[in-house]
Amino acid sequence: MPKIIIGTEALTKYYGKVVGVEGLNLEVEEGELFGFLGPNGAGKTTTIRLVMGMLKPNRGRASVLGLDAWRQSVEVKRLVGYLPGEPAFYPRMTGEEMVRFVASFDGNGEDSGRELAGRLELDSGHLGRKVGGYSRGMRQKLALVLAMQKRPPLLLMDEPTNALDPLTQHILYEILNEYRDTGTTLLFSSHNLPEVERLADRVGIIKEGHLVDTERIENLRSKRLRSVEIIFSGDVPDGLETIPGVSELERAGNRVQLKLRGDVNQLLKRVAQYDVADFSVTHASLEDVFLEFYGQGKSGGAV
Amino acid sequence: MNWNLIRKTISYRWQSTLIYSGSLAAYVLLMAAIFPSFKKMAGIQDFVKNYPKALMKFFGVESFDVTSFNNYLVMELLTVMWVIIVGAYIISFAKGMVAGEMKSGTLELLLAQPIERWKVLMSEAFVLLLGIICVVLSTVFGVFVFGSAFSVGVTYTGYLAFIPVAIALFLSIAGYSILFSVVFNQPGRALMASAGLTLFFYVVHFAGAYWRIVEKIDWFDIFHYYDPLKVINSGNVPVKDVLILLAFAIVGFALAIWFFQRKDITA
Repeated sequence: MPKIIIGTEALTKYYGKVVGVEGLNLEVEEGELFGFLGPNGAGKTTTIRLVMGMLKPNRGRASVLGLDAWRQSVEVKRLVGYLPGEPAFYPRMTGEEMVRFVASFDGNGEDSGRELAGRLELDSGHLGRKVGGYSRGMRQKLALVLAMQKRPPLLLMDEPTNALDPLTQHILYEILNEYRDTGTTLLFSSHNLPEVERLADRVGIIKEGHLVDTERIENLRSKRLRSVEIIFSGDVPDGLETIPGVSELERAGNRVQLKLRGDVNQLLKRVAQYDVADFSVTHASLEDVFLEFYGQGKSGGAV
Repeated sequence: MNWNLIRKTISYRWQSTLIYSGSLAAYVLLMAAIFPSFKKMAGIQDFVKNYPKALMKFFGVESFDVTSFNNYLVMELLTVMWVIIVGAYIISFAKGMVAGEMKSGTLELLLAQPIERWKVLMSEAFVLLLGIICVVLSTVFGVFVFGSAFSVGVTYTGYLAFIPVAIALFLSIAGYSILFSVVFNQPGRALMASAGLTLFFYVVHFAGAYWRIVEKIDWFDIFHYYDPLKVINSGNVPVKDVLILLAFAIVGFALAIWFFQRKDITA
């Protein structure tokens, strides 16, 4: 039976009358890369902070390896590397001093921190500079280093690729996969559907403080919604709306726009029979995903 | 306590502590340098004698002797200006401890490490204690050094006895200032609350010198237990007053820890 690393039972947090999260039940297994997907203000950060013991739940509980996240938060933090959504540092410290400062609490991680910094292209020249002068991207890289340097069994990351350029994002994905191979579990939040698809084994979709659903990533792909625009050299052929997964088809001259759910191959095969001037596919917005797959009713009582 | 955190806090605070300490020593130098001319000023004795009796009582100077450096220093520095300057240092330090770190987001970084919250507060409060000792000692040793240099007649035992009273007074201000820093998420609010309460205590004490009814309730006021002239002239440490001031400090700090243990860190 897989080991449960993170467990939440009816986890609830209110900010005054505003729902942070409500009745959240979640289990994340050992070695899993679990993506928390939802729009801004959905409750992703609140959940991560509850698991991290930064917030006291109003009801329910969160646990890490069986330890209560609030009552045993010091023990929990020994097991967790944490990346906040908006990393902050002591501006007068250098990056190197920050690495040493954070490592001093765990008694290890300094060497690993320097190595990680190098891989994320934060070399010794950057580390020797005061953090107050760092760009947003450099701050994010340093925050990633500080979260990962002790090689914890669990990583909690709030929007890990924020402010990272595509090349560094790719390096980070590699590092996280290496960590997973050595047994590290990752819970990360994102509002970026392709990023979650690329990185996660399983996805939790959260909206307005309620966990709408959890899906294996394969299932999410099969439900994936895309916006497709095709410009034909000649007239738009008939019968495109009968292709499985196609909906909301709109014609305008020789141009057609449609929504496509799931497998793209059948549409491609059909379109390939005609002379096509242009073909573009874009990911549907998160809001579209929610509306298409989960509907208003399934997103919980707070909607 | 956590030594890593203490080292970090010292590295962030030593400059301001040095500036306050140096400025206070310089202030004492100015006072000592002016005093010989001051006591020779024609009419100054009569001028001060005409001060309202209540005001003299407030300063703890029932019969003013212009030739006494102790009287002069208490009136010109230790009763008002010194309390304002050191109070500003303490309140500014304390507001940064939790409210300041919360606003800047570094509290989240700190509490993501495996360290108990009470240890975070204890470590930073320890550095504040060191800072208070530093500014008090710089003033008192300034009196010793510059008082000797200008031969103004310093009573050494009196000022040594004054050290624990001053430290206890400032610790009591630190106690509630740290509490406000924990309770409020905005450093500006923490500062206003701490400064407001200190001013309130001061006004109550001042009013107590004028109105008996206020004097009767002055016992809850920290400045009721702070009488620098009495201590400096007698050379005796008022143990009861020091203990009461320390009790104020402990209650404030204990409440701060209690709140901090339960506080939501929302960065």
